[in-house]
Amino acid sequence: MHIPSKDLAPPYLGGLILNQDSCLDVRNNPGADSTTGNVRKVAFMNRRRFFQVAGAAGAALMASPRRMTSVLAASSSTRELVRFPEKTEMILLTDRPPQLETPIHYFRQDLTPNEAFFVRWHLEGIPTSVDLRTFRLNISGHVRQPLQLSVDEMRSQFEPISIVAVNQCSGNSRSFFEPRVPGGQWKHGAVGNAKWSGVPLKSILDRAQVKSGAVDVSFNGLDAPPLPSVSDFVKALSIDHARDGEVMIAYAMNDHALPMVNGFPIRLIVPGWYGTYWVKALSDITVLPQAFSNFWTDKAYRIPSGPNGTESPKNLAKDTIPINRFNVRSIFVRPDPDETLRRGMPTEIEGIAFDAGHGIRRVEVSTDGGATWADARLDPEIGKYSWRRWRAAWTPRSRGQYRLMARATNAIGETQSKEQWNRSGFMWNVIQQVDVRVQ
Amino acid sequence: MVPKKKSTVLALGLAALVAGCGHPSNVSKEADHSITNARMSDNPVHTIVMPHDEPVFPPGPGRDEFVTACVVCHSPRYITMQPRFSRSTWLSEVKKMKDVYGAHISDEQVPKITDYLVSINGKPDSGQAPKGIYGE
Repeated sequence: MHIPSKDLAPPYLGGLILNQDSCLDVRNNPGADSTTGNVRKVAFMNRRRFFQVAGAAGAALMASPRRMTSVLAASSSTRELVRFPEKTEMILLTDRPPQLETPIHYFRQDLTPNEAFFVRWHLEGIPTSVDLRTFRLNISGHVRQPLQLSVDEMRSQFEPISIVAVNQCSGNSRSFFEPRVPGGQWKHGAVGNAKWSGVPLKSILDRAQVKSGAVDVSFNGLDAPPLPSVSDFVKALSIDHARDGEVMIAYAMNDHALPMVNGFPIRLIVPGWYGTYWVKALSDITVLPQAFSNFWTDKAYRIPSGPNGTESPKNLAKDTIPINRFNVRSIFVRPDPDETLRRGMPTEIEGIAFDAGHGIRRVEVSTDGGATWADARLDPEIGKYSWRRWRAAWTPRSRGQYRLMARATNAIGETQSKEQWNRSGFMWNVIQQVDVRVQ
Repeated sequence: MVPKKKSTVLALGLAALVAGCGHPSNVSKEADHSITNARMSDNPVHTIVMPHDEPVFPPGPGRDEFVTACVVCHSPRYITMQPRFSRSTWLSEVKKMKDVYGAHISDEQVPKITDYLVSINGKPDSGQAPKGIYGE
């Protein structure tokens, strides 16, 4: 655990390493869903064991057979790197439930590797084992023909589609809001771009024969709340959105199975919409004849109803709506803020830009703090929901400090914010500033 | 759908508490940290073991309440990840967890937990702290 020391009051003890087999408890739940026979195996901390370990630790740190983490060197802040199963070294935000951020250098490629794709779960009980022989996707509710589909049946009985799409956490870049807001303190790496392959949700809903009068469709995954008083994580889309032919159920990510912590064996893909709707380890689809309502829609993941989800800390918006489509944004990938550039040496500024699907048409770059702007070169468009990489050649002429800025504009003229704030730290798209030193 | 799962999970949770911390025989004790993509065709049962690497907090007033009410649902890292917040922000977070998320926190525990959070990751109250009502 590495938090800048100014943020810690003494006597902070630092990272205690719990021996994993002292506190991990895998609960096997063969009766979790009698209609599908899904076996729910979910990781929970064993409470009694935790108290034993945590109690002893106040006096002495436990030895660990293996240090799980290392420090991200040469970064503007010291954030810890961690390795989770099927993942490469990721920036650790939280371990239980996990929130793992992608190091920015992975954005130097069009598609984000599965092992580096960001991870964010809400509930402590995340799935850790899936038996594909018994796993079923259950489609029920306001339909004539309820279905239980295995992954093999989804692969063999439906016409597959693939779509390249950005998935971005609602709270990506939350740590840049000022005043700071509580929540996952992401920098810019809670986003990724992948090729998703699977079945259009419309095909599955059509086979289930949705009855007339359907309003919403809800989506639940194998994750489970740690207490009965905590709401299960279920999200919903309107029936029209669910049947638009683009919302899909993915069984492959960049032509491979999904890592478990990214939603194995299937997850919902909602192109152009924030990641909260991309339900992982999708197990239950319910068609509803009325509007869906639960904690995760009524109270969480809401934004001020005004432009760009913005409000003032001193005057909080009264009207809020569920978060929905991405706004326009760009992210610097290179240079790294800590990189030292050489006077007279040609360098290439690189980044990514994306929006909700209209398409990025222009990215402008400034190397003088916004006084002058020049167009960056855009890479070819891969797909309307993919991000688009951009580059700009730059040869700094003299020594000193430079402020780089980038501003993306989409096909309908939407561009990035100059300033922005909301209480939840959602939808950050302020024009990014990167200060670099030239020697 | 939802209520059934909740009750089943609760029952299992209680069973697991009674049973202690034994590993099911089909779960490896060593976490698989290899960078490989799961392949569906090879093995129909796909299993991972989650690592645990949780910070432990110093002793102090309110620590017991914090451990009892908060750490059962999430790692203490959810606190250390945050910037220093004022007491009013930490108080609103504790109330949010209690009243909105469904944490088992009694009214008496609210100020104790808040004091503890302020003692380990707090700052003076500015009077204009944001209220993280929806802060996921």
